[in-house]
Amino acid sequence: MSFRHLWAVTRKEIQHIFRDRATFILVLITPTVVLLLMTYTLAVNIEHVPLAVLDYDQSPTSRAFIQRITAGEDLDLYSQVDSIAEIEDMLIQGQVKAAVIISPGFSRDLLSLQGIDLQVIIDGTEPESGGFAVEHIGWRAEAFANEILADQFQIQGIPLESLQPIDLRVQAWFNPGLKPIIDLVPGLISIVLGFPALTVALTLAREHEHSTMEQLLVSPIKRTDLLLGKIVPYILVGLLNVMLIPIFAILWFRVPFQGNFLVFIALSAIFLFAELSMGMVIGVFMKSQSAALAMSFLVVMFPGFFLTGIFFPITAMPEIARLESLFLPGTHYAIITRGVFLTGIGLETLWPNAVMLLIIGTAFILISALFFKKRLA
Amino acid sequence: MTESAFINITELTREFKNKTALDQITLSIQEGELFGLVGPDGAGKTTLLRILAGLLQITAGQVVAAGYDLNKEPEEIKPHIGYMAQEFSLYEKLSVVENLMFFADLYNVDVKEQEDRIQKLLSFAGLTEFKNRRAAHLSGGMQKKLALATTLLHEPPLLLLDEPTTGVDPISRREFWNILTDLHLNGTTIIVSTPYMDEADRCSRVGLMYQGELVICDSPVNIRNLLDGDLVKITTSDWQEAHTVLAPLAGVKEIQTYGEALHILVDSGKTRLPQLTRALKEHNLAVDEARTASPRMEEAFISLIRKMDQVN
Repeated sequence: MSFRHLWAVTRKEIQHIFRDRATFILVLITPTVVLLLMTYTLAVNIEHVPLAVLDYDQSPTSRAFIQRITAGEDLDLYSQVDSIAEIEDMLIQGQVKAAVIISPGFSRDLLSLQGIDLQVIIDGTEPESGGFAVEHIGWRAEAFANEILADQFQIQGIPLESLQPIDLRVQAWFNPGLKPIIDLVPGLISIVLGFPALTVALTLAREHEHSTMEQLLVSPIKRTDLLLGKIVPYILVGLLNVMLIPIFAILWFRVPFQGNFLVFIALSAIFLFAELSMGMVIGVFMKSQSAALAMSFLVVMFPGFFLTGIFFPITAMPEIARLESLFLPGTHYAIITRGVFLTGIGLETLWPNAVMLLIIGTAFILISALFFKKRLA
Repeated sequence: MTESAFINITELTREFKNKTALDQITLSIQEGELFGLVGPDGAGKTTLLRILAGLLQITAGQVVAAGYDLNKEPEEIKPHIGYMAQEFSLYEKLSVVENLMFFADLYNVDVKEQEDRIQKLLSFAGLTEFKNRRAAHLSGGMQKKLALATTLLHEPPLLLLDEPTTGVDPISRREFWNILTDLHLNGTTIIVSTPYMDEADRCSRVGLMYQGELVICDSPVNIRNLLDGDLVKITTSDWQEAHTVLAPLAGVKEIQTYGEALHILVDSGKTRLPQLTRALKEHNLAVDEARTASPRMEEAFISLIRKMDQVN
């Protein structure tokens, strides 16, 4: 190991990144832009869904209930109507996406602890807003009912502790508004940091194409120094992204950042090491930039989307895919980013992921060193 | 072959997937030689230089260069050679000086000496005033000189140069060879491949390669003297017809065409020149130029290669 050689390659690579416009854009601009684009296209926040309400009960309780369900940003009261026919018209004309029908015995049933019937009609042509409305109305109704019940319990002298509502929607804990953006952005960070990895895969092929490789191979540099010297600058540039993107996520998307920033940076550096080593393996085998690019999309980007649990839960995958996801740096980093951003957990919980990333990175770097020959052809 | 030679190549064979690039080459080169490799494209010159640089594996045979057995120690020889690839192989995004610094680091040039040596090489290569220019913006000749300068940073005892002047203008070519001659005089062993015969003439010894074989290896004078007979140069109004007229004549051994001119190898220039011009005039061919000339290596090589083709 020669630090002089390592530094020479690192310095040269950094000079290249800042002087070659395409590389500069790919590693320093693209991640943020892609994060922005993907967040907006993938996580459309549903807000202000217009509702029609048909109140057969006409009691103070039912009026309080209507006020309650439309109090937030999520659901708006478009109109209070008198008949089902009016609801149908409004749904057909698209003025409302959902309607709530309150039955005549609403307040009586509620106060007598008999349970309530609530009918929700949704526009089936827009299942997203409809489903959203059903979920949110149900959720509000539950909270409303619980409060009424609590009052009744108090009146009847039953202790409140026995009234602990069971919330099965675990994912809603740290994302009380159920805003998909907050959940998505931390996951997406691991995908957009794939771009520096892609560039690393290209960097060896570039040397081949410009026949600068010949001059490198004929020099006394050790192959591990050469490979590490090519990874280090992209880790540094990747870390620039790692600092830039959370600022964007926090200030622009209002994603909370609960954890420790230094822990986040340190874990990100380890992730970049693993991800870039994976890119290096591709670079060792692909002799042209176009082949390396195609391969990186196949090996880095697509599995990053589908197998790291960002969009699809890993637990729902077949066993072989679960196994593969274990060896993808993105899987571990998605857990890290979500944990650090949303729940504020630190190394005490995330260390197995950090260790796994170190193992993956070292394994990939060894594989690339093994197959990288200091010979031509 | 002496064991004390600087480079000993014994029955070296290198095979690629469907081609034998080098076929049992045996050659030894003494320390301090300026050795020229000539031969048509695909003859195996680049393969031989790459093997000497430790860049290619040896299929069969043995190569010992500067004391290193290249079958066993291809990495160990690398600090001791300067290798210049055929294509421009420096970093276009880096400046002249940055390229030099990069390779000074790779070759572990003494840090205290580094600055001094770079300055010296810059002026040696005439690049001092361009030292901050990006390599991409240098002329072809300057790029070659920069490439040479980077191979000289660690003052290697052995220089391997693969067609260093191809595609370079004549003035830069001359400058480049003046530098090589200086290095040669300082005792550096140089192996240089070239497509130019005038460059081969400046070497102490020349090896002609053809289809993976070393056809001949000798000093330029001896190679020229291989041509048995005299050379007559004739330029006529119609070289194709002249060729058919002259070929069957007595005393004509071989005709080589050089553009419009015919170079005719005859047993005796003095007696044959008048006969040749007369024959041309009899066929109503205008003779623009007809004279005897001393043979060059080029004619010798072409003659040798033709003989080889006939044998095959």
